[in-house]
Amino acid sequence: MIETDLAIVGAGPAGLAAAGEALARGLSVTLLDDNPLPGGQYFRQPPAALTRAARMPHDAEHRRAEALFRAIEHPRLRLLSGAVVWDAPEPGVLAFARGADSGRVRAASIIVAAGAIERAVPFPGWTLPGVMTAGGVQNLIKSQRILPGRRFLVVGNGPLLLVVASSILRAGGTIVEVVESASLVRAWRHVPRLLTAPDILRRGLGYRAALVRARVPVRYGATIIEARGDDAVAEAVIAPIDVTGRVDRVHTRTVSVDTVVAGFGLTPSVELTRLLGCRHRWDVRRGGWIPARSADFETTMPGVFAVGDGAGIGGAEVALAEGRLAGLLAAVRLRRCDEGAVASDVRTLRARIARLHRVRDTIVNLWTPPATFLALATPETVVCRCEEVTARDIASIVDEGDAGVEPIKAATRVTMGRCQGRNCAAAVSEMLASARGVALADVELPRARPPARPIPLGDLLHEPLPPPRPPEMSLP
Amino acid sequence: MTDPRGARRLSADAAVDEPFTFVLDGEPIPACHGETIATALLAAGRRTLRRTAKRDDPRGLYCVMGVCWECAVLIDGQTVRACVTPAAPGLSVETVRGRAERRA
Amino acid sequence: MTTSAPLPSEIDVAVVGAGVQGLSTALFLARAGRDVIVFERGDPWREASGVNAGSLAIQNKRLPLVPFAREALRLWAVFQQELGDVGFVPAGGLKVAESEDDVGRLRESADQQRALGLELEWLEGESLRRRAPWLGSGVVAATFCADDGFAIPLLAGRVLMEAVRKAGGTIWPHTPILTIAAAGERLRVETSRGTVHCRTLVIAAGVWSGEIAQLLGVTLPVNLDVNMLTITEPAGPVMDRIVTHVRGVLTLKQYPNGTCMIGGGWQGRGDVATRQKDLDYESLLHNVRVAAAIVPGLAPLHLVRSWAGLEGATADLLPLLGRLPGHPNVFVTACARGGFTLGPVLGRLLAELIVHDETSMPIDAFDPARFAR
Repeated sequence: MIETDLAIVGAGPAGLAAAGEALARGLSVTLLDDNPLPGGQYFRQPPAALTRAARMPHDAEHRRAEALFRAIEHPRLRLLSGAVVWDAPEPGVLAFARGADSGRVRAASIIVAAGAIERAVPFPGWTLPGVMTAGGVQNLIKSQRILPGRRFLVVGNGPLLLVVASSILRAGGTIVEVVESASLVRAWRHVPRLLTAPDILRRGLGYRAALVRARVPVRYGATIIEARGDDAVAEAVIAPIDVTGRVDRVHTRTVSVDTVVAGFGLTPSVELTRLLGCRHRWDVRRGGWIPARSADFETTMPGVFAVGDGAGIGGAEVALAEGRLAGLLAAVRLRRCDEGAVASDVRTLRARIARLHRVRDTIVNLWTPPATFLALATPETVVCRCEEVTARDIASIVDEGDAGVEPIKAATRVTMGRCQGRNCAAAVSEMLASARGVALADVELPRARPPARPIPLGDLLHEPLPPPRPPEMSLP
Repeated sequence: MTDPRGARRLSADAAVDEPFTFVLDGEPIPACHGETIATALLAAGRRTLRRTAKRDDPRGLYCVMGVCWECAVLIDGQTVRACVTPAAPGLSVETVRGRAERRA
Repeated sequence: MTTSAPLPSEIDVAVVGAGVQGLSTALFLARAGRDVIVFERGDPWREASGVNAGSLAIQNKRLPLVPFAREALRLWAVFQQELGDVGFVPAGGLKVAESEDDVGRLRESADQQRALGLELEWLEGESLRRRAPWLGSGVVAATFCADDGFAIPLLAGRVLMEAVRKAGGTIWPHTPILTIAAAGERLRVETSRGTVHCRTLVIAAGVWSGEIAQLLGVTLPVNLDVNMLTITEPAGPVMDRIVTHVRGVLTLKQYPNGTCMIGGGWQGRGDVATRQKDLDYESLLHNVRVAAAIVPGLAPLHLVRSWAGLEGATADLLPLLGRLPGHPNVFVTACARGGFTLGPVLGRLLAELIVHDETSMPIDAFDPARFAR
């Protein structure tokens, strides 16, 4: 068992920032991350060979990333890349799978910086090859140096659509259209607040200008309703969303594309905080279920802290600031530095986080989609990709009444495949909420069970263990 | 690479580090160091990475960040996610077969 | 479901617990013309019956249970044919031995089981490798029982519930029992949804059966088992038989969808009152290590989900089946080690006892009176 002052799960912006601060203040840190290289989704590092080949741009983002990576080059850091944290067997202990090095880490404090995943929104044809998430396409272009198609439709909701669209254009792709569900009416009302964050405003306008230059039409208040094709996407059907939030299936248009980039926003990765037993609350503006936290980011489980997008979608800037603050506070808590010595840093960071959250709220307001825009699945739509369960299959159980999440799982196998519900659990909750006439916040979450992510059985064969307590032998 | 609908390597013009091949279901697939299996397959024009067990539907890359498992392929009998698994010289990759072959 | 209908005031039989024991009993009683209600505190089929490994094994049962397990397997086949898809697959089973000591035990249990008429094939060396080339090299001998098999608990629950309803029974989920009192010849059962009078009460509440008996002033000691299970991702063929272990430390099977179920009664931690169940990390690792040693083809597979289920057990590991002492109208069927396998036959026998006051197989050894105080 590895012993450490601080275990940090996730080496994205929040985890890296927390690690850097904690190391600088004298803590021993074990940083666990399931990717081959630290950086997370935002500072995702292309493998060295690709960087050499492609002459990656050295922009400001890269300089920031490199500063973070330098800050964790420290003898007191144990970096476990490629480690999947899969269980929390007892308080203060995390179990991780990492091939023959799999084992457990015991920490005085745990910071969960698990990041976010793309919200999966089922629509007819969304399982066809050629339909990809916005974050995924961004990954392919940025860190794998590949443009995954030629003619793109970019659809969904939120500012990430503009980011990925401008990446596609820079990479030489053709964008047929950007289709944004939000109407952005009265956007001007939000300008004063955005002026308080000139960086973000400038970047946003930059993305928009790139689209204008490339003559890419951007439609607001519309959505994809179907992707079509035999073995891959060949065309997509777009429909307006009317003032009441209903999809207008009469005035549709069909466009010919080979790739649909679907970005419906992010949702926090809470499987680990849930497994740790932290209480979660529903906050639609922060992406859905998030761990309840104190002002010091402590969850309802003592000694377990949550920061960054995994604790509520806030973006990379919030993640960096929360990570730094959590690293500092961990050092204070474990008495490696005096509260007074860091008081001014703490104050500055708290103020920065508050300001970032205000800006973030403005952006959320600006891009607020119609309430019902996610209801795109038809009865035939495969909602659960792993187990191939359709919306009709689920509805047939929901309609029996009485059934909760667990009986629906049992009857249909929805959420029981390899993705462990990451693609489909939200859709099931929405169907239940609408059938019961309650808010999503009132639909129970399925029980959190290990492994938090699928792990190879073979990884569990190596850790030295005390002799077993075998089950009571069967009597003759 | 000539398919106008296909994917395109952005580093194609630059000098690519020691290109190599790995094998998919017995067929050689060219790749560059640092690429994932998924990237090399995309560049080779393979959009369908597997077929499903029940409906025999084609599936390809979806989340591209290791979450959705849609890009599952087999290496030495182990399911791996093509989108996060590096391609390597000589690697032998099998596709996950759909309904028809599974029953056979 | 049925919860919108009003609760009747009079009923022949009230069954407490909608697991495999309760539903099987209700099914056979309803078929015998009894008016039956099944009360379930939570969701039906959600505790041991819904979360067990699905093994339908004969040769891993305690010796006195072997004849009952054989009859149960016959009933499961009938269920599959007559009621619907319960996922029944008569795959055949191998009970494996790893050491000389294991082999001695296996020989002894095989002799005893054969004496009861069970057909077993002894496999070792070449015959073993030929029959099951997927077994690890540490397996030195095995007995093969063609009648062992499995069902899929997730499918079986819905099929049994539907069968009970078709036979005229009703199932009331989310309806805990609050009090039970004698009312003349009958029993007055107060539930969260109202009160019903019944002539007969069946306690089939698994590990919670002791709590129900206590409502009648009877102490029925029930021990808690917290059985852990793990399931893999779907895979190509890994094994084509179910596997059990002579030391009782393993059950394995591959379902038709390719997922492999790993169990063996390794214990997690649980609490009867809160229904909370947690895994024990080290025991879970030992469990999968035994599995990978016996079937090495499991090692590359991803584990997708582990869980624990609460099961009742008695001191002699035999079921509670029969009348509750001092209460001629109250019957118990609960706490069978291997209860998923045995459920249909125990349910049928209890229905026979209630309807005819005699059973087609001898059940004296299971009399609740041996423990009740």
